[in-house]
Amino acid sequence: MKQRKKGLVIWLLVVVLLFISALLAGSSGHSESVQEAMRDAVLHDTGQISLFGLTTVTPGMVSALVVTVILLIAAALIRIFAVPRFQFQPGKLQLVLEEAVGLFDGMAKGNSPHRNRFMGAYIFAAGAFIFVGTLFELLGLQAITIHDHPITLPAPLSDVNAAIAMGTLSYLVIVSGAVAAHGPKGILKALKEFSLPISMSFRLFGALLSGLLVTELVYYYTSLSFVLPVVVGVLFTLLHALIQTYVLTMLVALYYGEVSEPAHKTPKANQQADNA
Amino acid sequence: MPLNINLQLILLHWMNLAILTGGLYFLLFKPVKQFMEKREAHYRELENQANDKLAQAEQLKAGCQAKLDAADEEIRQERARAQQAAAQAAQEQITQAEEQARHIIAKAKTEAEQSRERALRESQKEMRELAAKAAKKLAAQPGADFFDQFLDLTEGGGSHEGR
Repeated sequence: MKQRKKGLVIWLLVVVLLFISALLAGSSGHSESVQEAMRDAVLHDTGQISLFGLTTVTPGMVSALVVTVILLIAAALIRIFAVPRFQFQPGKLQLVLEEAVGLFDGMAKGNSPHRNRFMGAYIFAAGAFIFVGTLFELLGLQAITIHDHPITLPAPLSDVNAAIAMGTLSYLVIVSGAVAAHGPKGILKALKEFSLPISMSFRLFGALLSGLLVTELVYYYTSLSFVLPVVVGVLFTLLHALIQTYVLTMLVALYYGEVSEPAHKTPKANQQADNA
Repeated sequence: MPLNINLQLILLHWMNLAILTGGLYFLLFKPVKQFMEKREAHYRELENQANDKLAQAEQLKAGCQAKLDAADEEIRQERARAQQAAAQAAQEQITQAEEQARHIIAKAKTEAEQSRERALRESQKEMRELAAKAAKKLAAQPGADFFDQFLDLTEGGGSHEGR
């Protein structure tokens, strides 16, 4: 009991000491206004990062690459060490993997019973990218900008370019489904949903950006930086990760199934076929 | 461009997503799906085998039931046949017994008749002998009342008046 009290006192002293140190240390001298912080969060024009010396990219691009590397390394490790040991009665890891694959595969098969192999693979990758990419900002990984300033890597999809890329690529996948099912005529069928890439892109961007802006606001003011970030982090990161993953994959599966559905023969066409 | 939209970055993101899609498909999605399909096929095979065995068992049960029914029918027929044979044997025995009884009775009657006739004959013979004996005695005693002497002789020698 006495030892527990002693531990508690030490913990409180450490917290108070760190708080006082933070106050005494002050800022680096360069402080940006809340408007600048918001603008930078949306546009990423001041925090450019060099990509292997080839070109400069936004932090979101670097985040996307890091997320891809993380996912591919994890997938390779699972492929090498876990998949060969799969049992007919699954363990915990196997159950999670099967559940994830089964979820997206089932979504693909349910929405597009005729043609779903590629779409299942695509929405699995897109879902993994959105989910892990959104949670990625919780890691708070740092990068150095071209102006030698440290910057926290954001969620990839908080970069409008990433959101547009995801939305347009999803639309291209949908168009490819239409072409595969109906030939060149399928393009016309898919083109009637011309607003889809824009809506999907900006839905993702808006959802992720709103969370980012609120988080930026919370962290901008020191007085809001206690306890509240935990709630904000849960609300705007975990929930967004789940909801946006579900929304985009479901929409892609739905539209893909719709445009790749085999055409039903009209009675007239049937009659012509009979006459022939 | 507005909102810092950059075509180069969009293409880089496409490339990134293409790599991710291909990598995840070959490293994770395909192997896990193949394993799930393998397991599904395994359990489907087990289910088919179980269904086949069930069908065989049902067939065997139906065959056994048919055999049981046939055996029951055979037993019923055998029982009826046995009952008929037993009844016939009993009837024959009864007939034989009645015949035998009739014979016995007839034989007994015949023997009784013969015994009676023999007894009658013997008694008649004895009477004749007695009568002859008495007649001889009477004839040997002159002056005697033949009738009374005869009666005395036949009744054991007692006086006729005394009775």
